[in-house]
Amino acid sequence: MTPSDASGITPADESLDDVDLELLDGIREVFQAIDPMPADLPERIRFCLALRGLEIEVARLAAEESQPSLAVRGAELSRTITFDSDSLTIMIRIDPNLDGTARVDGWLAPPERREIEMKTAADSLTVASDEQGRFAFDRVPRGMAQLVVRSAESEQSGAGRSVVTPALIL
Amino acid sequence: MDDRTPVTVRASQPERSERIARLVNAARQGSDAALGEIVAELSPLLWQVARAAGLNLSDAEDVLQTVWMRLLAHLDGIHTSEALTAWLVITTKREAWRVSAAGRRQLPADNELFSMLPDQGPGSEEQVIVDDQRRILWQAIGQLSPRCQELLRIIAFVPRPDYTALAAQLGMPAGSIGPTRGRCLAKLRALLAGDLEGSSQ
Repeated sequence: MTPSDASGITPADESLDDVDLELLDGIREVFQAIDPMPADLPERIRFCLALRGLEIEVARLAAEESQPSLAVRGAELSRTITFDSDSLTIMIRIDPNLDGTARVDGWLAPPERREIEMKTAADSLTVASDEQGRFAFDRVPRGMAQLVVRSAESEQSGAGRSVVTPALIL
Repeated sequence: MDDRTPVTVRASQPERSERIARLVNAARQGSDAALGEIVAELSPLLWQVARAAGLNLSDAEDVLQTVWMRLLAHLDGIHTSEALTAWLVITTKREAWRVSAAGRRQLPADNELFSMLPDQGPGSEEQVIVDDQRRILWQAIGQLSPRCQELLRIIAFVPRPDYTALAAQLGMPAGSIGPTRGRCLAKLRALLAGDLEGSSQ
């Protein structure tokens, strides 16, 4: 139900007195102190938004798990992350490399040959998936990264949507 | 900037609405700087919306990113500050609901404010709040119903000129957000005045 409010007048607003307004200010301050937005979040959001102009389909984080890494000793973890969008499921495994970069192995379902871009703060890396939908980035610098699976049809028609993930911290 | 420094998000003057409308317009025409300003201005509100819906920290971060990415596809239909705030808040609520409903991660046993705060042990909230008055306010908020807690938490971060557009979309009939908010505020005032014992709502 969307009741019309054509007048644009909110009588209730008029009833807020100074004490109410002060209370709302106080409530805001309290929540800002207790549960502040992470300071780096706007930067990560802006990083994600640098995709303007692309016809995009947003993939949502669907699952994430971590296991101790076999490749690198110590506290490093391998992470497996699954993203779902309307047309595609993307699963990636992130393993630490000895040189401090990360290796990313991925699978697309349904399996398809697609161009896949890993955007990082510095630049972007591009690989292609094989017909089983597998792809790999050998060395990705640590920090923010975002996957963009380019639209399948883009070479021919420019139609079709690219699938993008939220920014990850590798 | 220190996270705890109160940021003034409430400029209730019409200039704010006009400024946001200009930024939306510029963003639609491709200005990343304008879009970045909008992100900086409204993300703190969306953070509270996502957290009030019961999301943990990392789910809330993902939801905010998803919402802003989805906005790119909807910018063409959004022309005013009110419409922008309403679209962002309702989309954040929907995305938060979708994440919770997917049940893919452990939600707190109940959805209430106090159970989902950063786990720093009992009393840590009070330590964060140095000001006595604010501490008393925090304790009073904790005695409100979960619905009042969520509503006041969100409303406190909404720029006041944008209330109207939000009312119709917050899942309550337009016009009733006022009275509901009024009841919640009245209850809070009574609690602060020490007129009420416990929760009767």
